[in-house]
Amino acid sequence: MGKKTAEGQVIVVTSGKGGVGKTTTVANVASSLARLGHKVVVMDLDIGLKKLDLILGLENRVIYDIIQVIEGECTLKQALVKDKRFPDLYMLPAAQTRNKDDITPDQVKQLCAQLKKEFDYIFIDCPAGIEQGFRNAIAAADRAIVVTNPEVSAVRDADRIIGMLESANFKDIKLVVNRIRNDMVKSGDMLSIDDLLEHLCIDLLGVVPEDQNVVVSTNRGEPIILNEHAQASTAFNNIAHRTLGEQVDFPTFDDITLWTRIKSLGRNMFSGR
Amino acid sequence: MLDFLKRVFNAEDKSSKGQANNRLRLVLTHDRLGTSGLVMDAMKEEIIQVIAKHMEIEGVPEVKIITEGRHAAMDISIPLKGR
Ligand SMILES: Nc1ncnc2c1ncn2[C@@H]1O[C@H](COP(=O)(O)OP(=O)(O)OP(=O)(O)O)[C@@H](O)[C@H]1O
Ligand SMILES: [Mg+2]
Repeated sequence: MGKKTAEGQVIVVTSGKGGVGKTTTVANVASSLARLGHKVVVMDLDIGLKKLDLILGLENRVIYDIIQVIEGECTLKQALVKDKRFPDLYMLPAAQTRNKDDITPDQVKQLCAQLKKEFDYIFIDCPAGIEQGFRNAIAAADRAIVVTNPEVSAVRDADRIIGMLESANFKDIKLVVNRIRNDMVKSGDMLSIDDLLEHLCIDLLGVVPEDQNVVVSTNRGEPIILNEHAQASTAFNNIAHRTLGEQVDFPTFDDITLWTRIKSLGRNMFSGR
Repeated sequence: MLDFLKRVFNAEDKSSKGQANNRLRLVLTHDRLGTSGLVMDAMKEEIIQVIAKHMEIEGVPEVKIITEGRHAAMDISIPLKGR
């Protein structure tokens, strides 16, 4: 299938804190969009600590990496790894033996400008942290997805990242809450979606439950969206549809309706009066 | 400041989720402003002292941060004694 939109969109997936599910989100939302017939490329900017190839199960097909493209050792096209399971999913691998300072924001911008001509969506897998790797990852992005977990340290980092994205003039910043456990939320031992939205004050793009199937899929190198019985699979598919701008209801999350009600009462929930 | 925030962000909720929320409200407010509870308390004292140097304060002065969404403002309320 060919490219659908005139100009491709660059979407960075970031979090501040490590290990919250950025790479899992990139792999699955990108696969889901590719399955829906969009031309998608995932760019791994976690230089030196690459994982996207493993999570997608493409590690044995990597020949060149992004640094070799930048340094002119190969063409961009040569470095792109095609995913055989989806008609239009490609990966631009990170380099494992280099580090984040070996590329610059301008070089990422140039690569993205080229990729935009060929692809509908360019997903950037951002490394953890707020240093050079983060600056490279956001340099060319039109939109940002902030992934967090319902946990104080992840929320604090997400808030910092949102502040930095706002300073960088991002207008489209959306939240994905990963690894939520409804049973713990109900028993009062986990922050709810409501709570997270109140703290972070950005729009919700998706809610992914804690799901053992994610570990199983990761072991196998298969995107979880290929396991249609997994709860996380539905969640990632919904995120893909919302990324396209479609309205998809959030299933079975009582707190969201509550949040919508609170929001309509005005946002000054703790104005101190 | 610290005490004030703690009071407003009802410390009644004893669940671990409630505690997480209270701690987050404080820490995010301070992170966003690049300040800390200690700095806020010191500043509050200084502000009150400056006013007290020129005018007579009557009652309990209040210096607090109010937030709306990701925006914050300082709300200073100092009751003054008239003649
Ligand atoms: N919804 C989920 N349920 C269960 N396990 C999950 C879920 N999401 C992610 N994980 C697990 O958490 C781990 C970290 O996920 P992932 O690599 O996607 O995070 P990351 O944010 O990209 O990490 P890093 O900052 O190191 O790049 C993985 O082992 C993954 O299998
Ligand atoms: Mg990762």
